[in-house]
Amino acid sequence: MRIIIAEDAAVIRAGLTEILTDRGHDIVAAVGDAVALRAAVAEHKPDFAIVDVRMPPDHTDEGLRAAIAIRRGNPEIGILVFSQYVETRYAADLLSMRSGGVGYLLKDRVANVAEFTDAIARIAAGGTVLDPEVVTGLLAASRHTDTLGTLTAREHDVLALMAEGRSNSAIAEHLHVSERAVEKHISNIFSKLGLPPSDSDHRRVLAVLAYLRT
Amino acid sequence: MTLLRGAQQKFNVRVRELPQEKVAELAAAEGITISGMRPENAKLTWYVSRLGDPVAWRVRGYFGLKLPLVVTGLAGVVAGWLGGLFYLTYPAWWALGFYWLFGGFGIRSLGLSFALVPVGVALLYAGSWLTHNVTEGDRWLMRGLLGPRTSEERVRALRESRARAVDDSAARLRTIERDLHDGTQAQLVALAMKLGLAMEKLADAGSVDARPVDLVRVTQLVGDAHRGVLEAIGDLRTLARGIHPPVLDKGLTEALTVLAERSAVPVELVTDIQERPSDAIETIAYFSAAELLTNVAKHSGARHATLEAVHVPGLLRIRVTDDGTGGARPVASGGLRGLAERIRTVDGRLEIDSPHGGPTTVTVELPSHA
Repeated sequence: MRIIIAEDAAVIRAGLTEILTDRGHDIVAAVGDAVALRAAVAEHKPDFAIVDVRMPPDHTDEGLRAAIAIRRGNPEIGILVFSQYVETRYAADLLSMRSGGVGYLLKDRVANVAEFTDAIARIAAGGTVLDPEVVTGLLAASRHTDTLGTLTAREHDVLALMAEGRSNSAIAEHLHVSERAVEKHISNIFSKLGLPPSDSDHRRVLAVLAYLRT
Repeated sequence: MTLLRGAQQKFNVRVRELPQEKVAELAAAEGITISGMRPENAKLTWYVSRLGDPVAWRVRGYFGLKLPLVVTGLAGVVAGWLGGLFYLTYPAWWALGFYWLFGGFGIRSLGLSFALVPVGVALLYAGSWLTHNVTEGDRWLMRGLLGPRTSEERVRALRESRARAVDDSAARLRTIERDLHDGTQAQLVALAMKLGLAMEKLADAGSVDARPVDLVRVTQLVGDAHRGVLEAIGDLRTLARGIHPPVLDKGLTEALTVLAERSAVPVELVTDIQERPSDAIETIAYFSAAELLTNVAKHSGARHATLEAVHVPGLLRIRVTDDGTGGARPVASGGLRGLAERIRTVDGRLEIDSPHGGPTTVTVELPSHA
């Protein structure tokens, strides 16, 4: 894939480039701020963009806003957003797009090469990725402790993996159960939480995210 | 409330704002028997407290002294201004027949009436002088009696100083956070990536494919990672030194010696520090000297500099002199400005004597204890 990297720390930019090049991708541009990112996307029309939330000049969320703008203008470009801290607001803003092909990971996740490249592959395939740590945090902080308490341990695991954006087959593989079992768990979960059944993986991430954040 | 234990003495203790039960409790805790408690007459208490209030006395004093002042002022206005105006225009009045006002002096002719005109001028002059002095007197009274006392001024100055100190430390913590985040943390993440990649390549060797391990690549990755770690260690060392230089533990004299040796410009060191000032002062003094020597090396073009550090009881003075081009000024976001802020937080002083053409002398004075 042709990838653009936007990250202000030079060492991390170099490391990302190295990993992705090793995997056979082509890094068409590696930039250090949001303005350069938009320019590079316009110029190179990549297949994928990896963006840090916090970049110069303000060091607040210009990376995220650039990513959302790119997503709107070019929905075919896969986007992976990195964040130093868990900011569920960013995750919600980013994921509230119509389709998949978008992801939100914590920066630490980059250090795990396998998970990082797996996330990119899933996004490129049109899936949705949400960092497991973000999901854990959301589950812990949710006000719906009573309702969440009615879930069985297995259903809880399925809910977490589903919120991370994984497909049924991926969940089945992860938990070493059959896909049919996963489907059954999911429909139980949705009825217990009072959510309507979702037609796409991405929609259900949004549904769960919305549920956990209220 | 200090009470003598077990004494058989009678005390009339005024305990305000405590309910009776609480007083009994406290007394019992001290081992004192209360023979009787009498609630004070509230109104009497109020009057008595007013009698003892220093602010109230100052206000009374002001109004008391203002009365004679006002009377004098009034006399001045009437006699001086009005009288003066009258005598100034006396001929007109005489002609109109009003010569008896303000004591006519028995003037019988118009010509003689002009003699009183200078009296009018004199009176006007006297009147304005009196009015001016009365107002000055009033202002002096107000400032003296009603103005803020030196202690209040001192409190205000202390509050400002404390606010500056709090802002200063908050700003420095933010700088440290940024340095750690952008520097050390980024380096460690990059390291983890390199090692992760290396591990993957090594793990490939045991996979089903059983491809040969790309040892060249793995060696390169591990080597890069190692170099990165050393760099991170160095950066952390520099950061820690910026927070508290370990060399200061040996004392300011020792630390300044190291600074002088490290300076690009030859520095002559003169120290007289018998007793060590407090840690915080030593740190500020050290960083001040470091900043000043850096400025000498970077901006002054000097060939020789002197660093003096003298500690007399209560005062630590650091002075850096150089024979450079001078013209040193504290720039808005420059090092000298930051230095001045830090010095001010401990009520110290920074003096810059740097005429264009040099030589430059910068003096930092700090109290022995913050």
